[in-house]
Amino acid sequence: MSLKPMPEMTEISKPFWQGLNEGEIRIQQCNACNGWVFYPRRHCTHCLAHDLEWKPVSGKGTLYTYTLTRIPTLPEFADEMPQALAVVELEQGVRVNTTLVGLTEDEIKVGMALKPALNQVDAKGNTLLRFTAADKALDSLPYINPLDSLPRNDKGQVQVGVDNPVALQALVSDEYTDWSNTLLVDQELINTFAELSGDNYWIHTDPERAAKDSPFGTTIAHGSLVQVLQSRLNFALPFEITGFQTMVNYGSDRLRFPSPVPAGSEIHARARVKSVQQSRKGTALTLEVNIHVVGNDRPSVINDLVILYR
Amino acid sequence: MGLRGDAAIVGAAQYKPEKYATAPQMFHLEQVADLAAQALEDAGLKASDLDGLVINGPQFHEASVFVPAMAAEYLGIELNFAEVVDLGGCTPVGMVWRAAAAIEMGLCEAVLCVIPMRLAPFGPSEDPAWMARAMRFGGHSTAYGAPEAEFDLPYGHMGQNTGYAMIAQRYAAQYGYDQTAMAKICVDQRTNALANPDAMFFGKPLTVEDVLGSKMVADPLHVLEIVMPVAGGAAVIVTSKELAAKTKHRPAFVKGFGERLSFKSPSYANDMTVTPVAAAAKRAFEMAGVKPQDMDAAQIYDCYTITVLLSLEDAGFCPKGEGMRFIKENDLTFKGNFPLNTHGGQLSFGQAGSAGGFSQVIEAYTQIAGRADARQLTRCDQVFVSGTGGVMSEQGALILQGG
Repeated sequence: MSLKPMPEMTEISKPFWQGLNEGEIRIQQCNACNGWVFYPRRHCTHCLAHDLEWKPVSGKGTLYTYTLTRIPTLPEFADEMPQALAVVELEQGVRVNTTLVGLTEDEIKVGMALKPALNQVDAKGNTLLRFTAADKALDSLPYINPLDSLPRNDKGQVQVGVDNPVALQALVSDEYTDWSNTLLVDQELINTFAELSGDNYWIHTDPERAAKDSPFGTTIAHGSLVQVLQSRLNFALPFEITGFQTMVNYGSDRLRFPSPVPAGSEIHARARVKSVQQSRKGTALTLEVNIHVVGNDRPSVINDLVILYR
Repeated sequence: MGLRGDAAIVGAAQYKPEKYATAPQMFHLEQVADLAAQALEDAGLKASDLDGLVINGPQFHEASVFVPAMAAEYLGIELNFAEVVDLGGCTPVGMVWRAAAAIEMGLCEAVLCVIPMRLAPFGPSEDPAWMARAMRFGGHSTAYGAPEAEFDLPYGHMGQNTGYAMIAQRYAAQYGYDQTAMAKICVDQRTNALANPDAMFFGKPLTVEDVLGSKMVADPLHVLEIVMPVAGGAAVIVTSKELAAKTKHRPAFVKGFGERLSFKSPSYANDMTVTPVAAAAKRAFEMAGVKPQDMDAAQIYDCYTITVLLSLEDAGFCPKGEGMRFIKENDLTFKGNFPLNTHGGQLSFGQAGSAGGFSQVIEAYTQIAGRADARQLTRCDQVFVSGTGGVMSEQGALILQGG
């Protein structure tokens, strides 16, 4: 399962989506011919003038048509069944593709008076323009984070069952954890790894030659050493997955060493959940782990670690 | 204005519809050559007679640009006229009139109009799952800045089913709705398919109760009111009058055509219940100098039952709002007083992607040529054909007349 498609705003449509996020419905009106335009464009659909102005509107309108779906239009919309897909004609005459909320099937009638019900759909504040009957008390649908209602363990981590796809998706985030503890990567550690792995290339193990010939002016740690040091860097994940039989390290989808770790550097790490995907194999949670030299914005290791729960 | 009516369909080829899972996989270029050879053989013409090509650009497997040149090279022919048509289900109708117009302008003598729609074999480095992902959003563009990606998909507005369902709901609110009339479209067309061994649903009778008892997909459309996607592909040969005289069968002259594109999403139509075929059919009839009641058969694009209802009304076969009554009062089978989609329509024949509309074009030609075997109309000199792409977004009409 993946997330529902979300609008990706453009320079043209930004005032519309930002307006919704701020609780205001804005559509465009042409200064040349006074025609109203939706969806957002650069040019007027009535006269092609390049002179559209954003105007706040009430969002009141009537139901032009609708359908109730008995099979989801995409699997991601299964939680909305039946989807009340609608075309709403605003007071200004423009039509909007949307969904109806807060209505029983019997209450929906073509031509009925409608008002907007702004619906924040994610933690970032993204808001969709849905509609309900003009005489309903409903004005907005606040965002409900599915993680909020779940129990927490004694470390304060939210406990997410492996059988809870909605909550698992809510773990996916652009935000990283706090930084882990720091760890010194000195020449002794590098030498030990060189011996263990058999990789004793001079750029790692010969400080004198490295000072002379290395583009970094010093020896650097093996990328694979820094990668495995992740086990000694404790970043605090805000969640605990529960209810599985086995958990295995399934490998990496991506492993990159974008910048070097010079001998004597302190490193630290942080992580975020990049994706959660369910398949016949089980539930694959991809944790993007980034290891940095302290003070360096550029990571030394990017590791998209796939953890398979089943 | 318009055509003199001097160009004609003289031969055709159409793969028997099959399920994707069991249909042969062929490269699209290979299908083009195969269909061309079959259609030329059907007409009694040679490859060297061809000097025009109209082909689909979107969904062509081996390339998305330079498609006509690549196909001509593959066929080993040189062209005086080459065209790509991108009108969804209206593409075949759009191809035929473009070919006829080019011939009447003297650009070329014989045009191959072709759409391959069997799957191509998967390459060793191609991922079959990729196609499933690519198909996920149907005809909706997910490109950054595409209006439907930004303003439809986030709400779950996706695919053709719900668009057509919303048109039907609007129609119901304005004119009323009799679902037994809609089911009768399916049943009468199935009667036609029972006389067409090539149809997907040949040998499978259908009742009004079956249609109304089938699963609801999006109110008010049942699954049996929606076409079944099949693997297929088709071609026709359009030639000048002079060349047509040398072919094997009675040609079907292209006497009139019309085309109209109004929107992509019907949400933005002025009136969702007045469809683009109104303008297209009006032009086609005027060009041909005939009227709807002069037609011996109507081959009306039928991706959904609601498409047929609105096309019958808007093309002028019955007044607006009276389509349901018209359907109930007339026998739409090949034995009836208003033969409609005599091959079974795509609802019973199967829909091979954008080649689906060729089933209507080819049935019109086949009836005019007197080659429809068990379902042959006793008299068939003039046929109306319509094509529909998107969600009633783009529609076309042809008037074909026997020579």
